Amino acid sequence: MLKYGLAYGLLSSRRRAREMLLPAITIATGAFLVVIVFAMSAGIKKQAAGLGHADEIGHAVVLIAVTVLLVGVIEAAVATTRTIAHRTRELGVLGATGVSSRPVLLALLVEPLVTAFFGALGGAALAAVIAGVLAAAGAAQSGVSASGTAAGALIAVLVSVVAAVVTSAVPTWRAVNRPPIKSLNAS
Amino acid sequence: MTSSGGTFGRLLRFAIANIRRRPERFVLSVLGIALAIAAVTVVRTISASFAITGGDSVTSAIGTHAIWVVPAQGVTYDSAAGALVAEGTPSDITVPEGWTGTETIAGRWHSAHGQVAVYGLAGTPAGTAVLSPQLALRLGVADGGTLRLGSRTQTVSVRGDSPALIVSPGIARDVVGNVGWWVADEPAVDKGRNDLGRLFGTAVGLPFTQNPGQAPAKDGHGLVYDTTTGSGALSFAQKYASAFSGQVTDSTLGLISVIGLVLGFVIAVSSFLASVQERRREFGIMSSIGLADEVLYFFLVESGVVFVAAWLIGVLGAGIAVWAVLPDLATPTAWAQASATVAAFLPAMAIVGAIVPVHRLLQQRPVALLAD
Repeated sequence: MLKYGLAYGLLSSRRRAREMLLPAITIATGAFLVVIVFAMSAGIKKQAAGLGHADEIGHAVVLIAVTVLLVGVIEAAVATTRTIAHRTRELGVLGATGVSSRPVLLALLVEPLVTAFFGALGGAALAAVIAGVLAAAGAAQSGVSASGTAAGALIAVLVSVVAAVVTSAVPTWRAVNRPPIKSLNAS
Repeated sequence: MTSSGGTFGRLLRFAIANIRRRPERFVLSVLGIALAIAAVTVVRTISASFAITGGDSVTSAIGTHAIWVVPAQGVTYDSAAGALVAEGTPSDITVPEGWTGTETIAGRWHSAHGQVAVYGLAGTPAGTAVLSPQLALRLGVADGGTLRLGSRTQTVSVRGDSPALIVSPGIARDVVGNVGWWVADEPAVDKGRNDLGRLFGTAVGLPFTQNPGQAPAKDGHGLVYDTTTGSGALSFAQKYASAFSGQVTDSTLGLISVIGLVLGFVIAVSSFLASVQERRREFGIMSSIGLADEVLYFFLVESGVVFVAAWLIGVLGAGIAVWAVLPDLATPTAWAQASATVAAFLPAMAIVGAIVPVHRLLQQRPVALLAD
């Protein structure tokens, strides 16, 4: 049954690709910043050293980049609440025809998961390309770290996917567990 | 909706009723904006802390002197020492007739207890080291005790609040080398003039400025800062503090936090757009009975509630983050200043965040809204 839920979720995600664009862009922006911060950590450390308190400011840069990524991810969860509102009757029909809540929950979580994954991947890829171009052009004075880029991309994708699922879980759970009659009567 | 107080109360109740209708969206919007506000508040706290540090450090370095002549290599704030130090030898100048000028030695001493700024001030008795109580505590010395400074022993005098250790110029030069700056004051006849920098700079043959953000040319012989207020409203220390804090807001840190704030605003607009879309019929009914303006008020109040809640959570979160990650860098005063600065952005964000979605709605005729 979970397999059908996943397939249903993927199909509806394809149908709602346009609505997923804005959250994907906000996530990509956050992921871009995280990857750039990790890729150019040497330059940022140098700038932080110029301000004094190099270690503390270096930590603050990473903390704030990850916070911005989370801000981007929350847009995916807000988009999920929009999706749920649009599909209230559909959820009612699924509930009324005896579909259990777990596959429906999975189907609804596919959308934020896909948005977060592809948004973060897109932002990370763009950051890697730009960091590479800057390094090749000699514009990054302190260099670009390949391992930093990879670590930043991994962190961006993992944080985005986990945060998107966690923040979308509560509204999705509430919608799925609503009595079908209430969902069917929703205007 | 007759009295203004009653109107606001009703609008608030209406906003709360709508929030309760979609609590998860309200929580997510508040959380997203709060995170963005927290990021900006952390950066502004660091920046405000730098401003306080910059203002205090320049005041303790030059006092109330009207002219400050820095070497070509400039001066820097040494965060470990907590004071301004010079990076080069004092400019080779002859103080013009009528002016009073003093050469100050100002450099770093690598003590066993960490980096210490040492100022060599004329008038300090030879053999005496003046320290603030905080510095005395750091160096583990007490008033009347002794302090080994290079090859000489100094008698400790604990007084004042300067972050630097103050000794006679000769001792200072032995310990930190011949690095420092000049300070000077105008003759009585020139008191009150607002072009003292030009007068002094021309007389000694050095460039001059009232802008503390301007650095001396590396290949020059120094730069004359006119520390009098001039025609502006800000004191030199305030302008120096502003230039100092600008280093943070113009850095990567500042740029990232601004992008975060933009994303937070996107969340607010996106959430209100969704709300508008879901309530088209409701607003169609209101528009058709002549309550089109009230629709805007509903959203303004709702937007205000969202932003105020986000600000409260954001600044508290930033305070905790700063306390946990940057305890040495930020003070409660800096955090309070930063929270107030961020609060100044909110009305504009809340108003634009509400107007953008509602404007689109009000462009349509009530019948079109009811037909959906």
